[in-house]
Amino acid sequence: MTDVDRDRKTAQFEAEALAHLDDLYGLALRLTAGDEPRAEDLVQTTCLRAYQRWSQYEVGTNCRAWLMTILRTTFINDYRSRRQRPTPVDYDEFAEWSVFEERSPDDPEARFFERIVDARIVAAIDALPDEYRLPLILSDLQGLKYREIAESLGVPVGTVKSRLFRARRQLQRELYDYARDAGIVS
Amino acid sequence: MEDMITCQEALARVYEYLDGELSPEWTEKVRRHVEVCRRCWPRFEVERAFLDRIRERGLPAARAQGLKERIVRLLDEVEDSD
Repeated sequence: MTDVDRDRKTAQFEAEALAHLDDLYGLALRLTAGDEPRAEDLVQTTCLRAYQRWSQYEVGTNCRAWLMTILRTTFINDYRSRRQRPTPVDYDEFAEWSVFEERSPDDPEARFFERIVDARIVAAIDALPDEYRLPLILSDLQGLKYREIAESLGVPVGTVKSRLFRARRQLQRELYDYARDAGIVS
Repeated sequence: MEDMITCQEALARVYEYLDGELSPEWTEKVRRHVEVCRRCWPRFEVERAFLDRIRERGLPAARAQGLKERIVRLLDEVEDSD
Protein backbone atom coordinates (compact mmCIF):
# COMPACT_ATOMS: atom_id res chain seq x y z
CA MET A 1 0.00 0.00 0.00
CA THR A 2 1.43 3.36 -0.93
CA ASP A 3 1.61 6.26 1.49
CA VAL A 4 -1.18 7.96 -0.41
CA ASP A 5 -3.40 4.91 -0.08
CA ARG A 6 -2.60 4.63 3.61
CA ASP A 7 -3.43 8.24 4.24
CA ARG A 8 -6.68 7.77 2.41
CA LYS A 9 -7.47 4.65 4.41
CA THR A 10 -6.74 6.42 7.68
CA ALA A 11 -8.77 9.44 6.68
CA GLN A 12 -11.66 7.23 5.68
CA PHE A 13 -11.42 5.24 8.89
CA GLU A 14 -11.35 8.42 10.94
CA ALA A 15 -14.36 9.81 9.18
CA GLU A 16 -16.46 6.66 9.19
CA ALA A 17 -15.38 4.55 12.14
CA LEU A 18 -14.17 7.08 14.68
CA ALA A 19 -17.45 8.93 14.30
CA HIS A 20 -18.86 6.18 16.53
CA LEU A 21 -16.29 6.52 19.27
CA ASP A 22 -18.71 7.83 21.89
CA ASP A 23 -21.06 4.92 21.33
CA LEU A 24 -18.18 2.46 21.51
CA TYR A 25 -16.84 3.98 24.68
CA GLY A 26 -20.36 3.98 26.17
CA LEU A 27 -20.68 0.24 25.57
CA ALA A 28 -17.14 -0.41 26.79
CA LEU A 29 -17.98 1.34 30.08
CA ARG A 30 -20.94 -0.94 30.70
CA LEU A 31 -19.03 -4.10 29.80
CA THR A 32 -16.24 -3.14 32.22
CA ALA A 33 -18.71 -1.97 34.90
CA GLY A 34 -17.61 1.64 34.68
CA ASP A 35 -13.86 1.05 34.68
CA GLU A 36 -12.66 3.98 32.56
CA PRO A 37 -9.05 2.91 31.89
CA ARG A 38 -10.14 -0.60 30.93
CA ALA A 39 -12.91 0.78 28.79
CA GLU A 40 -10.48 3.03 26.93
CA ASP A 41 -8.11 0.10 26.36
CA LEU A 42 -10.98 -1.93 25.02
CA VAL A 43 -11.97 0.81 22.59
CA GLN A 44 -8.37 1.22 21.43
CA THR A 45 -7.97 -2.51 20.81
CA THR A 46 -11.29 -2.55 18.99
CA CYS A 47 -10.29 0.33 16.72
CA LEU A 48 -6.94 -1.26 15.95
CA ARG A 49 -8.64 -4.52 14.97
CA ALA A 50 -11.24 -2.72 12.93
CA TYR A 51 -8.55 -0.75 11.16
CA GLN A 52 -6.64 -3.89 10.32
CA ARG A 53 -9.83 -5.48 8.99
CA TRP A 54 -11.03 -2.34 7.26
CA SER A 55 -10.85 -3.98 3.85
CA GLN A 56 -13.45 -6.49 5.09
CA TYR A 57 -15.89 -3.74 5.92
CA GLU A 58 -18.25 -2.64 3.19
CA VAL A 59 -18.32 1.13 3.12
CA GLY A 60 -21.84 2.45 3.53
CA THR A 61 -23.19 -0.58 5.40
CA ASN A 62 -23.77 -0.44 9.14
CA CYS A 63 -20.37 0.61 10.43
CA ARG A 64 -21.58 1.20 13.95
CA ALA A 65 -22.98 -2.34 14.25
CA TRP A 66 -19.78 -3.81 12.79
CA LEU A 67 -17.63 -1.94 15.30
CA MET A 68 -19.87 -2.79 18.26
CA THR A 69 -19.65 -6.45 17.32
CA ILE A 70 -15.85 -6.31 17.29
CA LEU A 71 -15.90 -4.57 20.66
CA ARG A 72 -18.26 -7.14 22.18
CA THR A 73 -16.33 -10.13 20.91
CA THR A 74 -13.01 -8.61 21.97
CA PHE A 75 -14.30 -8.12 25.48
CA ILE A 76 -16.05 -11.47 25.79
CA ASN A 77 -13.17 -13.53 24.42
CA ASP A 78 -10.89 -11.92 26.94
CA TYR A 79 -13.45 -12.41 29.70
CA ARG A 80 -13.87 -16.07 28.82
CA SER A 81 -10.15 -16.74 28.74
CA ARG A 82 -9.64 -15.07 32.12
CA ARG A 83 -12.52 -16.89 33.75
CA GLN A 84 -11.11 -20.11 35.18
CA ARG A 85 -14.25 -21.54 36.63
CA PRO A 86 -17.62 -20.04 37.37
CA THR A 87 -17.10 -17.51 40.11
CA PRO A 88 -19.51 -18.15 42.97
CA VAL A 89 -22.00 -15.35 42.84
CA ASP A 90 -23.21 -13.92 46.09
CA TYR A 91 -26.71 -15.11 45.46
CA ASP A 92 -29.49 -13.53 47.42
CA GLU A 93 -32.49 -15.72 46.80
CA PHE A 94 -34.87 -13.09 48.09
CA ALA A 95 -33.73 -10.85 45.29
CA GLU A 96 -35.61 -13.17 42.97
CA TRP A 97 -38.91 -12.00 44.33
CA SER A 98 -40.15 -9.30 42.09
CA VAL A 99 -40.81 -5.95 43.72
CA PHE A 100 -44.03 -5.99 41.74
CA GLU A 101 -45.24 -8.78 43.98
CA GLU A 102 -44.97 -6.41 46.96
CA ARG A 103 -46.36 -3.43 45.18
CA SER A 104 -49.50 -3.85 43.16
CA PRO A 105 -48.88 -2.97 39.49
CA ASP A 106 -51.96 -0.75 39.68
CA ASP A 107 -50.23 1.36 42.31
CA PRO A 108 -48.70 4.42 40.59
CA GLU A 109 -45.63 3.99 42.76
CA ALA A 110 -45.01 0.70 41.01
CA ARG A 111 -43.59 2.81 38.17
CA PHE A 112 -40.83 4.06 40.49
CA PHE A 113 -38.21 3.29 37.84
CA GLU A 114 -39.60 6.02 35.59
CA ARG A 115 -38.64 8.61 38.15
CA ILE A 116 -35.07 7.53 38.65
CA VAL A 117 -32.39 9.45 36.80
CA ASP A 118 -30.37 7.74 34.11
CA ALA A 119 -27.13 7.86 36.06
CA ARG A 120 -28.63 5.74 38.81
CA ILE A 121 -29.96 3.19 36.36
CA VAL A 122 -26.54 2.95 34.77
CA ALA A 123 -24.89 2.65 38.20
CA ALA A 124 -27.26 -0.17 39.15
CA ILE A 125 -26.37 -2.05 35.97
CA ASP A 126 -22.66 -1.56 36.69
CA ALA A 127 -23.19 -2.92 40.21
CA LEU A 128 -24.41 -6.30 38.94
CA PRO A 129 -21.85 -9.10 39.11
CA ASP A 130 -20.30 -9.97 35.72
CA GLU A 131 -22.29 -13.15 35.32
CA TYR A 132 -25.59 -11.29 35.49
CA ARG A 133 -24.50 -8.00 33.96
CA LEU A 134 -23.09 -9.42 30.74
CA PRO A 135 -26.23 -11.32 29.65
CA LEU A 136 -28.28 -8.25 30.53
CA ILE A 137 -26.08 -5.98 28.42
CA LEU A 138 -26.11 -8.38 25.50
CA SER A 139 -29.88 -8.83 25.64
CA ASP A 140 -31.27 -5.46 26.68
CA LEU A 141 -28.58 -3.08 25.51
CA GLN A 142 -27.39 -4.90 22.39
CA GLY A 143 -30.53 -6.73 21.33
CA LEU A 144 -29.02 -10.18 21.03
CA LYS A 145 -31.26 -13.27 21.17
CA TYR A 146 -30.78 -15.94 23.83
CA ARG A 147 -29.09 -18.29 21.40
CA GLU A 148 -26.60 -15.61 20.33
CA ILE A 149 -25.83 -14.77 23.94
CA ALA A 150 -25.37 -18.46 24.76
CA GLU A 151 -22.92 -18.91 21.88
CA SER A 152 -21.11 -15.74 22.73
CA LEU A 153 -20.63 -16.60 26.39
CA GLY A 154 -20.16 -20.33 25.85
CA VAL A 155 -23.02 -21.36 28.14
CA PRO A 156 -26.33 -23.20 27.56
CA VAL A 157 -29.44 -21.22 26.65
CA GLY A 158 -31.01 -22.30 29.95
CA THR A 159 -28.17 -20.60 31.80
CA VAL A 160 -28.71 -17.41 29.82
CA LYS A 161 -32.40 -17.44 30.73
CA SER A 162 -31.82 -17.93 34.44
CA ARG A 163 -29.05 -15.32 34.62
CA LEU A 164 -31.16 -12.80 32.73
CA PHE A 165 -34.06 -13.48 35.06
CA ARG A 166 -31.87 -12.89 38.12
CA ALA A 167 -30.17 -9.84 36.59
CA ARG A 168 -33.50 -8.17 35.99
CA ARG A 169 -34.89 -9.04 39.39
CA GLN A 170 -31.77 -7.81 41.11
CA LEU A 171 -31.86 -4.60 39.10
CA GLN A 172 -35.49 -4.03 40.07
CA ARG A 173 -34.63 -4.65 43.69
CA GLU A 174 -31.61 -2.25 43.62
CA LEU A 175 -33.57 0.51 42.01
CA TYR A 176 -36.57 -0.02 44.27
CA ASP A 177 -34.38 0.16 47.39
CA TYR A 178 -32.79 3.30 46.02
CA ALA A 179 -36.22 4.80 45.29
CA ARG A 180 -37.32 4.11 48.86
CA ASP A 181 -34.14 5.58 50.35
CA ALA A 182 -34.45 8.63 48.13
CA GLY A 183 -38.08 9.11 49.10
CA ILE A 184 -39.29 8.60 45.55
CA VAL A 185 -41.63 5.94 46.87
CA SER A 186 -43.12 5.68 50.30
CA MET B 1 -62.71 -25.11 23.78
CA GLU B 2 -59.00 -25.13 24.46
CA ASP B 3 -58.04 -24.72 28.09
CA MET B 4 -56.48 -21.42 29.10
CA ILE B 5 -53.07 -21.60 30.75
CA THR B 6 -52.82 -20.60 34.40
CA CYS B 7 -51.43 -17.37 35.85
CA GLN B 8 -48.47 -19.32 37.17
CA GLU B 9 -47.69 -20.73 33.73
CA ALA B 10 -47.95 -17.27 32.19
CA LEU B 11 -45.84 -15.53 34.83
CA ALA B 12 -43.17 -18.20 34.63
CA ARG B 13 -42.67 -17.13 31.01
CA VAL B 14 -42.96 -13.36 31.40
CA TYR B 15 -39.44 -12.54 30.28
CA GLU B 16 -39.30 -15.05 27.48
CA TYR B 17 -42.56 -13.58 26.23
CA LEU B 18 -41.38 -9.98 26.47
CA ASP B 19 -38.07 -10.94 24.85
CA GLY B 20 -39.89 -12.57 21.96
CA GLU B 21 -38.24 -15.91 22.67
CA LEU B 22 -41.28 -18.14 23.11
CA SER B 23 -42.43 -20.52 20.41
CA PRO B 24 -45.35 -19.24 18.33
CA GLU B 25 -47.58 -21.72 20.15
CA TRP B 26 -46.62 -20.52 23.62
CA THR B 27 -46.58 -16.88 22.58
CA GLU B 28 -50.19 -17.25 21.61
CA LYS B 29 -51.11 -19.09 24.82
CA VAL B 30 -49.52 -16.42 26.99
CA ARG B 31 -50.98 -13.60 24.95
CA ARG B 32 -54.48 -15.04 25.24
CA HIS B 33 -54.18 -15.45 28.97
CA VAL B 34 -52.67 -12.05 29.65
CA GLU B 35 -55.14 -10.08 27.58
CA VAL B 36 -58.07 -11.25 29.69
CA CYS B 37 -56.42 -11.75 33.09
CA ARG B 38 -57.04 -8.97 35.57
CA ARG B 39 -54.00 -9.95 37.59
CA CYS B 40 -51.50 -10.79 34.85
CA TRP B 41 -52.18 -7.97 32.47
CA PRO B 42 -50.99 -5.16 34.81
CA ARG B 43 -48.07 -7.31 35.90
CA PHE B 44 -46.92 -7.93 32.35
CA GLU B 45 -47.31 -4.25 31.56
CA VAL B 46 -45.16 -3.07 34.45
CA GLU B 47 -42.49 -5.65 33.66
CA ARG B 48 -42.51 -4.46 30.06
CA ALA B 49 -42.25 -0.82 31.16
CA PHE B 50 -39.30 -1.71 33.35
CA LEU B 51 -37.45 -3.42 30.50
CA ASP B 52 -38.21 -0.51 28.19
CA ARG B 53 -36.67 1.90 30.66
CA ILE B 54 -33.48 -0.17 31.00
CA ARG B 55 -33.22 -0.43 27.25
CA GLU B 56 -33.78 3.28 26.70
CA ARG B 57 -31.52 4.52 29.46
CA GLY B 58 -28.97 1.83 30.11
CA LEU B 59 -26.49 2.65 27.37
CA PRO B 60 -25.59 6.31 27.20
CA ALA B 61 -22.84 7.38 24.81
CA ALA B 62 -19.79 8.76 26.61
CA ARG B 63 -16.76 10.82 25.72
CA ALA B 64 -13.26 9.97 26.87
CA GLN B 65 -10.90 12.91 26.82
CA GLY B 66 -8.13 12.58 24.26
CA LEU B 67 -9.11 9.08 23.24
CA LYS B 68 -9.62 9.91 19.59
CA GLU B 69 -6.19 11.52 19.37
CA ARG B 70 -4.55 8.51 21.02
CA ILE B 71 -6.24 6.15 18.60
CA VAL B 72 -5.23 8.18 15.55
CA ARG B 73 -1.63 8.07 16.78
CA LEU B 74 -1.90 4.31 17.26
CA LEU B 75 -3.21 3.85 13.75
CA ASP B 76 -0.21 5.71 12.38
CA GLU B 77 2.04 3.17 14.06
CA VAL B 78 0.19 0.18 12.63
CA GLU B 79 2.28 -1.90 10.29
CA ASP B 80 1.10 -2.00 6.77
CA SER B 81 -0.58 -5.41 6.54
CA ASP B 82 -2.87 -4.77 3.60
